[in-house]
Amino acid sequence: MASAQVFNITLPALPEGWSADKDFKAVGSVSAATQRNLEPVGPHFLAHARRKRHQRTFSEDER
Amino acid sequence: MSDESNSVPAEAPERFAIGISFGNSSSSIARISPEGKAEVIANEEGDRQIPSVLSYIEGEEYHGTQAKAQLIRNPKNTVAYFRDYLGKNYKSIDATPCHQSAHPVQVDSTVAFSIRDTASEDVNTVTVSEITTRHLRRLKQSAADFIGKEVNAAVITVPTDFHDAQREALIAAAKEAGIEVLQLIHEPVAAVMAYDARPEATVADKLVVVADLGGTRSDVAVIACRGGMYTILATAHDYELGGASLDQIIIDHFAKEFIKKHKVDPRENERGLAKLKLEGEATRKALSLGTNASLSIESLTDGIDFSSTINRTRYELLSSKVFAQFTDLIQQVIKKAELDVLDIDEVIFSGGASHTPKIAHLARNIFPEKTAILAPSTLITALNPSELAARGAAVQASLIQEFDKEDIEQSIHPMVTATPHLRNAIGVQFVSGEDVDFQPLLNAETALPARRTAQYSVPKAGGSVFVRVCEGVREIKVTKPEPKPKAEKASDAEEDDSDFDSDEDEEEEIRETVWKTDKAIAELAVKDVKAGGKVELMVHVNSDLGLQITVREVGGQSAVRGAVESPKPTEN
Ligand SMILES: Nc1ncnc2c1ncn2[C@@H]1O[C@H](COP(=O)(O)OP(=O)(O)OP(=O)(O)O)[C@@H](O)[C@H]1O
Ligand SMILES: [Mg+2]
Repeated sequence: MASAQVFNITLPALPEGWSADKDFKAVGSVSAATQRNLEPVGPHFLAHARRKRHQRTFSEDER
Repeated sequence: MSDESNSVPAEAPERFAIGISFGNSSSSIARISPEGKAEVIANEEGDRQIPSVLSYIEGEEYHGTQAKAQLIRNPKNTVAYFRDYLGKNYKSIDATPCHQSAHPVQVDSTVAFSIRDTASEDVNTVTVSEITTRHLRRLKQSAADFIGKEVNAAVITVPTDFHDAQREALIAAAKEAGIEVLQLIHEPVAAVMAYDARPEATVADKLVVVADLGGTRSDVAVIACRGGMYTILATAHDYELGGASLDQIIIDHFAKEFIKKHKVDPRENERGLAKLKLEGEATRKALSLGTNASLSIESLTDGIDFSSTINRTRYELLSSKVFAQFTDLIQQVIKKAELDVLDIDEVIFSGGASHTPKIAHLARNIFPEKTAILAPSTLITALNPSELAARGAAVQASLIQEFDKEDIEQSIHPMVTATPHLRNAIGVQFVSGEDVDFQPLLNAETALPARRTAQYSVPKAGGSVFVRVCEGVREIKVTKPEPKPKAEKASDAEEDDSDFDSDEDEEEEIRETVWKTDKAIAELAVKDVKAGGKVELMVHVNSDLGLQITVREVGGQSAVRGAVESPKPTEN
């Protein structure tokens, strides 16, 4: 997996009064996905196919 | 530990695979060189673009350029422009490209050609499948001769609109030629791969338009590249637009010149027309590099020799309408993908007609400056458009050459390729003062599951920071310039050509893409980050749209983690 991208952007300070259990709060969900066909070519697709067929996660795959 | 594992299986011969691009006009063969670079192989005549033509004289088979030359003397026994007939019903084909070569005939419901392909006088009916087999056999032999090794497998490129019957017919025809088709891949995706396989390429998310401008047809596609994976978002085709449309302009131009001088139309004579077409194509190709090109034909018609020249400016003027059709097709596919020219990161020009400088220049004017136009006339480092498909096929061939047949079949099965893609980008919202900004981390059209990691700065003094993970949508912001004050206008008008200029200036609006934060998904806090520190965010999106999010101070001990549940199915 590609390493971290580095953005030259400054995160805002924590707003006054914000608090959450374990500092994490889920506030919404992701919009419904679009079903599309991946083109079955290239090394990254082959890695994707390997994970999908063997039901492995990214981190299991990296081991 | 069994006996078998120690003994080499005797049966299966070693597999050696190449990449093949198979067009109606020309074909190419490619391999990965011992240095690991994709390279297109020249056949014994030195051609890397091998005309997809077979011709028969006294039972002898000619292929490629030699066969194409026979379109003048021996058109009836010369088969050309047949790729798109493969696997098709006779009733559904367009026979126009074969007007000047062996005509397609109906056999059962499929397509064949009646040719004298043996030493005898008999005319045989040879199916398009058999013609394809013979063509592929010649390509395979050329590759084997160059490499010095038997070639028995290939990845072959096909257009994006090739349907199952066409695919099956191609695989069967290749098998007859002794070629195991490891995989058929889409031409525009092969073109992107050719670029992405270069050692200097990096894996970057990008939206690419591939404009494959061929001989008899042109095909365009918008492809999302996400984490090194490719998804076609839209395609458009023009089955009557290609190099042949430009040949026609050259033919007509010289024919008119000839008529003026000699009062006969060389196009009315079959052989004259064939000569004009063959030589005219060479002249047109020469205009891709030079500013002038000549044409010289012996005995064009009625025994009259003809020679003339044409300059590029003239040619471009005559072709402006046809050139516009190419750029229209590009704009059409972007619209079909519901995108804007501002969204496109790269335009890859592929196919032989993409050498035409003016077409790439016209595209340059349509796209914003940040869009890379990858064509010989707009970028010195551009790859040869005629070689992209074959190179991409060779790259894929090298990747899967060692795989079992079953392994390949499973990997390309719709169970694996059908994949949910993100509708919107997911990223982080930044608020500073009045400004709300959004920085995408996962782009729209990313195939799932996906995982991305990014690092961000914190305020100079450090402290606790806020990470708001949101969906973002890009919008097109249009800024109309302020109308010019009257005085300035008046002074403008005094200049010679200002009338036209100032009008244009006024019309010109500024269009740019801006991010809008759409909906918030999760909020996280990273407490007490040290001054000058950095924060790392990892977002993992499952196939069911559930998220795992982790943030931590880079180099810090503890991380903040949480999960966002996938949306309820009823929401869909
Ligand atoms: N240098 C060049 N300049 C201009 N046109 C060129 C050049 N080289 C090749 N062509 C044109 O490209 C066309 C062939 O393109 P290509 O080899 O990509 O075709 P193809 O995919 O086999 O064709 P088709 O569209 O018929 O399936 C021909 O019309 C040829 O004249
Ligand atoms: Mg083509």
